[in-house]
Amino acid sequence: MSELSRRDFLKLARNGFLYLSGALALGGLLRFLDFDPNPAPITEFDLGPASNYPLNSRTVLSEPPAVLLHTDKGFSALSLVCTHLGCTVKSDAQGFACPCHGSHFDANGNVLHGPAIKHLQTLRVELTDEDNLKLFTA
Amino acid sequence: MKKTLTLASGSLLLALVFSWWWTSRQPSPVELIPTLTGQPEYCLTCHADVPDISPSHPNNTFGCVSCHGGERLALNADLAHSTMRGGANPSDLSVAGISCGGSNCHSGSEADDRNHIQRVMTSVQSTYAGAIANIRFSFGAQPDLIPRFGTNAVTDEQTQTGITSLSAFKPLSESNPFIQKFGENCLTCHVNAVRGDGKANERQTGCAACHATAKHTLSTAIPYTQCNACHNRGNYDLRTMTFIERTDHPTNRLQDYYQPIAQFTKCEYTLDCVDCHTRDEAMGDGDLHANQKDIQYIQCKTCHGTPTELPLTKTIADPNDIVFRLAMLNPVLELKMGDTVLVTEKGEPLWNTRVVSDGTYEMIGKVTRQQFAFRPVMGSHCTQSGKDQSSAYCHECHSVER
Repeated sequence: MSELSRRDFLKLARNGFLYLSGALALGGLLRFLDFDPNPAPITEFDLGPASNYPLNSRTVLSEPPAVLLHTDKGFSALSLVCTHLGCTVKSDAQGFACPCHGSHFDANGNVLHGPAIKHLQTLRVELTDEDNLKLFTA
Repeated sequence: MKKTLTLASGSLLLALVFSWWWTSRQPSPVELIPTLTGQPEYCLTCHADVPDISPSHPNNTFGCVSCHGGERLALNADLAHSTMRGGANPSDLSVAGISCGGSNCHSGSEADDRNHIQRVMTSVQSTYAGAIANIRFSFGAQPDLIPRFGTNAVTDEQTQTGITSLSAFKPLSESNPFIQKFGENCLTCHVNAVRGDGKANERQTGCAACHATAKHTLSTAIPYTQCNACHNRGNYDLRTMTFIERTDHPTNRLQDYYQPIAQFTKCEYTLDCVDCHTRDEAMGDGDLHANQKDIQYIQCKTCHGTPTELPLTKTIADPNDIVFRLAMLNPVLELKMGDTVLVTEKGEPLWNTRVVSDGTYEMIGKVTRQQFAFRPVMGSHCTQSGKDQSSAYCHECHSVER
């Protein structure tokens, strides 16, 4: 094994520094570019196997706030985000009530009384080929 | 050349290592995407323990920036706070229109009674118009008591009182030194005044002056102590035009509530101010008024009636009645359709009251949640004229000794 000369050692060290710093700088640059401080909100949610939601079930989801209905007509969903200012409505005897400002909705999401003036939003639900449910909020 | 390259690469490596070390010391960004805005903000990175300011303003819905302003994506404290509205108090009246306003919030239409900010801006609590007019009249600066000035310029083109505008009061423009001194020393308690030093000035400005009952808390359950911060902190000496802070040291509610000279009935020192006095009285009714008396109309008879008349009441027949919204914000009494509540002469419901089936009344303290049962004056031995119902007349028989 030949001895590494001082010149070769310095050359190796220099090239090592150069490649390492270049690689780190490139990594840092990619990390910087990859970071999105202002990401678009998620609008697609995987709800898992449809078999988890039996016929005539009514499942309250936390993320996104919604209620998933499975009737003989299929799957449907209703957003639980109050159309007034965005608080999460709660189920009550009439349907849904907003704990923040008192809006009331019937069980189908129709406004019973304000301050909300729009009905709760109906959300799109799709059944994938793998029998999974996907919920779309936009 | 090779030496330079080596030094440059070494320096770059050191800089990167330092950068990595520095970044690793920074807190990981905590993102919140409020449903109201849908825009990420990183305030919780440092303010993770901030509780919801009220049940009506949950953090997850409103976030921080909707009310406070600031740079929502900044992780540096100075930068993040650089554009905050009103410093730590976004409800200061100089910025409340932006922070608390909006058509769905507190500067909405008069029709659905959500024009809180406009009402406060024109209220005597804000304009101090009566006091200014009184002093200017007393020292000959104006020929009558009609208000011409407020603490800020304000207009009300749809006024019901005949007062359409007030100019901004500028004490230094006055020629009388007493009026100048009044402006300097006696305008510290209107809700948009910059607070002075000392215990007598322990209050905030704007909406928070009344509604911030604790740190980062907004409430309609406002204890009398909050009102005392302005209304019972001392006296103005009109000879010297200075404010004299009270020097007594009350040890109980009885002593704390009123100045020693005042008379009062038991309910006046047992109840909290907000148990009887209404939103319009406290926040204004949207019109400019000449003085406090013009907008202070709750009297003993509002709840007790007179020897010849029962108090005014209203049976709730509309699910959209404002009484439900008011009761929901501070649910001390579970009102339902068909319940009958007391109302003011202007028709405002006293939503913490209810007529009981035996013809008596109940009131629940908005702060204490204490239940009070009371009867009408009609049918009692009281012979007081129904026309003379200011508190002084009732105090003649019903004042409490201390």
